[in-house]
Amino acid sequence: MNWKFNHPIMSDKKYNLQQLEELAGGNTDFVNSMVETFLEYTPGQLQEMLNAHKEQKMDVLGAVAHKIKPNIDLFEISEIRNDIRLIEEHGKNNLNTPELKASLDRLEVVLNKVFKQLEQR
Amino acid sequence: MNGFKIFIVDDNELYARASQHHLSLNPDNEVETFATGKDCISELYTKPDMVFLDYSLPDVSGIEVLRKIKQSFPEIPVVIVSGQEDVSTAVELLKEGAYDYIVKDENAHERMWKATNNIKENAELRDEIDRLREEVDHKYDFSNIKGNSTAIRRVYKLIEKAAQTNITVSITGETGTGKELVAKAIHYNSKNKKKNPFVAVNIAAIPRDLLESELFGHEKGAFTGAVNKRIGKFEEANGGTIFLDEIGEMDMALQAKLLRVLQEKEVTRIGGSGSIKINARVLVATHKVMAEEVKNGNFREDLYYRLLGLPIELPPLRERGNDIIILGKHFLDEFIKENEMPKVQLSPEAQKKMLNYHWPGNVRELKAVMELAAVMSDEQRITEDDINFNSTNSGLNDMIAKELTLKDYTLKIIQHFLDKYERNVVDVARRLDIGKSTIYRMVKNNELEI
Repeated sequence: MNWKFNHPIMSDKKYNLQQLEELAGGNTDFVNSMVETFLEYTPGQLQEMLNAHKEQKMDVLGAVAHKIKPNIDLFEISEIRNDIRLIEEHGKNNLNTPELKASLDRLEVVLNKVFKQLEQR
Repeated sequence: MNGFKIFIVDDNELYARASQHHLSLNPDNEVETFATGKDCISELYTKPDMVFLDYSLPDVSGIEVLRKIKQSFPEIPVVIVSGQEDVSTAVELLKEGAYDYIVKDENAHERMWKATNNIKENAELRDEIDRLREEVDHKYDFSNIKGNSTAIRRVYKLIEKAAQTNITVSITGETGTGKELVAKAIHYNSKNKKKNPFVAVNIAAIPRDLLESELFGHEKGAFTGAVNKRIGKFEEANGGTIFLDEIGEMDMALQAKLLRVLQEKEVTRIGGSGSIKINARVLVATHKVMAEEVKNGNFREDLYYRLLGLPIELPPLRERGNDIIILGKHFLDEFIKENEMPKVQLSPEAQKKMLNYHWPGNVRELKAVMELAAVMSDEQRITEDDINFNSTNSGLNDMIAKELTLKDYTLKIIQHFLDKYERNVVDVARRLDIGKSTIYRMVKNNELEI
């Protein structure tokens, strides 16, 4: 983790494309298309999780969290790195706790910020 | 190698595309992605070289897809890629035949890259092995033991019979008749053995003191100089064939050990305590007449019977009639091809000369003679003069052609027998029905050498 650029105090940027750029091997088109794909799918997935939580469908919540966890890691959205794992665990084990609610709230806020930042990149 | 086809099965579009892009950085890789297990299974018939499989899929579970792949195409390596860091699932999947298990963390793509390269390397090695194996199969095919004479055709039949079972085979025949070739033909034509090792040991070529450790191996420190553990030839041949050439040269002490190994089907390394089970087919060969060796007390009778198994006696070349010409031409063609020389003909006179010769060195000698002839021949024709015999005990025809005195002939004959029977004067005297003092007198007069 490169804290110098990613730490919230140092930078307002909630994500880091370094890993993705390494993967791209200098291909900026690829990075752009990955960002597009992220923006295409993730808002829907976020909504899916919020709905699942509302409807107490804990298994669905866990499954979606599991699915987007690697993407959050890939975009290095470190602020919610632990939250997405907590949501996955709680969903899988059918635990509806105040911590889960807090994590989901944080996830929603941070992801929405990321969406905006990525769009204006 | 054509493109290396990789399937990625992952319902996470983003991740699948990232992986696809990364693996495609190597232009040899052709990467296809699938969002569901079903999609992947229905495309398996196109034979991917490997599959990256996400463990949690929306339709069928990863383990089921893995099972399906392993059922229909067990040779396709499947690497599980999972968001879970769960050791027990990983173990379970590896037991089901997964090639590797990669967790989706920041190192995942690097590990996928490495796994791809490993599998690619493996596939290349496997192709190489298949190709070499085919080459070897072909090399020791029956068709490579040439000849049409009744004597050699009988040998073909015996080889075929020997290849069908695991019976011990004893191959006898004069030097140069092709005993090792027959042993290899038996091994490489045995269905259950041919993929396993063929280990040849020439007993006569290994110093007595080293033979035991060569055959049975030794533990580190078993004797002075045993600095490392050593696997013996028997262990090396496990599952395959061990060929003991010149078995008649083995000394009595080791014969006892060999007998024990053959009976118990296990070896103990020198200095070792435990014994190791050995399942190897045994082929032996010798140019000696074994029954005689037993009679003379040089070879254990019990071991003799244990090794006799299916005896295959290779006929000497001089008894194979026209095979001499067939083989001669074969060696000639081979040599010419190897050395990129123009084709040559074997003249009728040369053929006649070959047929009249007694070939004490048998096929080995024939090969040498033909190669020399190919080199010596001018124009594209091998004449009588190009066929030169350099055998140590030249033939009767050649000998008579020398027109010596009867006394000189007598000396030559006795010398020949002395050389043949290890300078055993008593034995030679008995064989030639002359007094041994006659021989000793000739030796004393420097007419003979012993």
